[in-house]
Amino acid sequence: MGDLTVETRDVEDITLLYPKGYINAHTVRAFETELQRTLEQKRFKIVINCSALTYIASAGLGAIMGAIEEIRTNGGDLRLTNLNETVRNIFEILGFNHLYRIFPSEMEAISSFRQGDGAA
Amino acid sequence: MLSLPSESSFLIVVRDVAKRMAEAAGFDEATAGKVALAVDEATANVIEHAYHGQAGREVFVRFEDRGPDFMVEVVDDGDRVDPKSLPQFELARYVNEHRTGGLGVPLMKKIMDSVTFRRTARRNFCRLVKHKTRAEAGHP
Repeated sequence: MGDLTVETRDVEDITLLYPKGYINAHTVRAFETELQRTLEQKRFKIVINCSALTYIASAGLGAIMGAIEEIRTNGGDLRLTNLNETVRNIFEILGFNHLYRIFPSEMEAISSFRQGDGAA
Repeated sequence: MLSLPSESSFLIVVRDVAKRMAEAAGFDEATAGKVALAVDEATANVIEHAYHGQAGREVFVRFEDRGPDFMVEVVDDGDRVDPKSLPQFELARYVNEHRTGGLGVPLMKKIMDSVTFRRTARRNFCRLVKHKTRAEAGHP
């Protein structure tokens, strides 16, 4: 059962990730692979557009936590956009919504990086 | 009682069933979704920690609408797990310690009203209980 795909695209020095499906213990590897591929390319400004993400489990939260230190140490940040209510609630349950900047739209997240606001 | 193979590809099945069962018990979609997440986490823990990722084993999930509350029990016959040894989750400490795992049980405890673990001679039982409001229980 293939239940997660992750497309990517670059906008200047920002990489946008589009997880489609859900992120749990079964699918997290696909998500981590794309995150790691982005970091290996030394691209540390990352936007995760969650518009096609139906839900995220602790494995997904952990995958983001696993990358964030390297991202911010290198002067970048990981920002989230287009969270549905389910995904937003999951981030809020343990307070993870306070760890990351969350935007209503991809455009606003990209703009936040362009306004010289590359760091967390 | 639902019986699933100990493979993470089936987590979506237990999640979907849990959500539907929670909705049938009277919870709204958002709450049922959270309950389903807790069940996903509990089942994932069994696969990873009780069965160490071993395929070919079984995970049993039992649902019970008890009127005032909704109970889900996840049962396995794997190795003993001891979630009581986990420290209380605190976000600041979690971040400062650069941790990335161990979020499943804290999520379960935040979502459900009760999360208990017990062990018989050969089985682990993880019981998740969600209380209902009067409206959810069908009272005016």
